[in-house]
Amino acid sequence: MAMVERYTPSARWFHWLITGIFLELVLSGLLIFIPWLTSGMVGTWIRLIHRIGAVILVGAPVIFALVSWKRAWYFVREAFMWGKGDIGWLRAAPGYYFGGDPRLMPPQGYINTGMKLYRLAILFGGVVFVITGLILWFFKGVISPEVFQWCVIIHDVTFIVAIGMFFLHFQLAVFHPRMDEGLLSMVDGKVSGVYAKSHHGIWYGKITEKKEDSSATSS
Amino acid sequence: MAKAILYDATKCMACRACQVACKQWNELPAEMTTNRGTYENPPDLSPQTWIKIKFIEMEKEGKLDWLFTRQACMHCTDAACVEVCPTGALSYHELGFVQYERDKCCGCGYCAEFCPFGVPKLESGRITGVGVMDKCTFCIDRVTNGLEPACVKTCPTGALIIGDRNELVAEGRARVEALKADGYSNAYLYGEDELGGLHVLYVLADRPSVYGLLEEPEFPVLASVRENIFRPFAWITWGVVAAGLALNVLVARARQVRGKEES
Repeated sequence: MAMVERYTPSARWFHWLITGIFLELVLSGLLIFIPWLTSGMVGTWIRLIHRIGAVILVGAPVIFALVSWKRAWYFVREAFMWGKGDIGWLRAAPGYYFGGDPRLMPPQGYINTGMKLYRLAILFGGVVFVITGLILWFFKGVISPEVFQWCVIIHDVTFIVAIGMFFLHFQLAVFHPRMDEGLLSMVDGKVSGVYAKSHHGIWYGKITEKKEDSSATSS
Repeated sequence: MAKAILYDATKCMACRACQVACKQWNELPAEMTTNRGTYENPPDLSPQTWIKIKFIEMEKEGKLDWLFTRQACMHCTDAACVEVCPTGALSYHELGFVQYERDKCCGCGYCAEFCPFGVPKLESGRITGVGVMDKCTFCIDRVTNGLEPACVKTCPTGALIIGDRNELVAEGRARVEALKADGYSNAYLYGEDELGGLHVLYVLADRPSVYGLLEEPEFPVLASVRENIFRPFAWITWGVVAAGLALNVLVARARQVRGKEES
C-alpha cells in the first residue's frame, strides 16, 4: 500500500513551532525556581523570556485561526465528536498499549479517542494557563492578593499536569513500538497505508474511498 | 541571639523623624504627594518609603482619640515572603530579622502578594515586568556593626528601642501590665506570638484592630501548599509518570509489538 499524507506542511511547521515555544516556556518556568541561577538580572531575563514565549504560544494559534479559521474550528470540533468507537477505545486501550491483540481495538477516525482526550486537555488547560497567566502578568497589585495567590497555585498545577502530558505525547510518538511511524509522520507528513489502516481505519477508509471516487470520475 | 525592635504606640507622638531618618540613611528619595486631609504621608509604603507612621482618628467616650502606629516590615519568624521568594533575595538573618539582598531580586513580586501585612512594595513595568522590590532591611549594615537602626536612633521619645528579643518581650509585657493598671484594659503586646513571633513588637493601648493591625495574622496557606507540597509533589508526579511510560514501552517491546504489521 502506498504512503498517505497525514499532516500538511503548515500543520507540521505549526507543530514544531509550538513544540519549541512550549519547551522554552517549560524551561523558563522551571529555571526560575533555581535560586543560585535566577538571582538578580538573570531571573529578570528569564521572566521576560517567559512572557515573550507566552505571547508567541498564544499568538501563533490565534494567527493560525485567523488565516485558516475553518481548519482551526475543525481542530476544536474534532475533539468533541464522540461515538461508539470511542467507548470501544477506552475499553481496549490498556491492553492495546501494553502490546495486546490489536484486533480488539475498534477502528478509529483521523484522531483516536486518546488524541481527543489529549486535545480536550490542551484546549481547557490552555484556557486555564492563559487566564491565570494574564492575571499574574497584568493584575499584580491590582487584583486582591487572594485571587493572585490562587492564580499562582492554579498556574502551578496546570504546569505539573502539562509536563506529564508532554511526557505521554513524547513517549507515544518516539518510543512506543506500536506508534512506530508517529515521529516520522510529523517530519515528512506521511504514514504508510498499513499504518493508517491499522491505526485510523475509519479515516483510511474515507480517504481511499475519495481517491477511488476521483479516479473513477476522471477516467 | 535574636534582636527585635520595640515600638511603644503610647510613647509615639508621630513626629515621623523615623521616616526621615530611614530615608536619609538608606538614601531614599522623597515622594511627591498631595494633601489628603491628614498628617499621614505618604499614603502607603513604597519602594522609596520603608517605614511610615499611620494616623488614626477615632471617637472614644465622646472625645477625639488620635492613635499612631508604625508601618514597616514586621520581620516575622515565619515569613511568607521568604518562603515564596524564588531567588533567595529574602532570607532569615541569624539575628532573627528578614534579610533582603536587593541585588538578588528578580522582580517577581510574589513576596508582595503573599505578605499578610502587605509590606514589600514593587514598581515594575506593566509589560516587561522588570523591576525590583524594596522594604525595610532592619538596617543590617548598622545593626551588624553595633549601631541602632536609623529609625530607632532618631526616635526622640523612646517609642522605638532595639535589644535582645527576649528582654524586649519582658519589657513589653511589663509596659502592657502598667497600661492595664492605668485603665487601658485592652492593652496588648503585639508580635509576641504572631507568625511565630515578630521581630518588631508593638505595645498597644487597645486591640490591634483598633490600630489597623491584623488581629490574627496568618501565614498564607497557599504559600505553604506551594513550597511544602507542590515542589516535591511535582517531581514525584513526573517521576511516576515517566517510570510508568517507560514500563509501558518495555512491556510492549518485550511482546514484540510493531505498528506496521497489524491487520
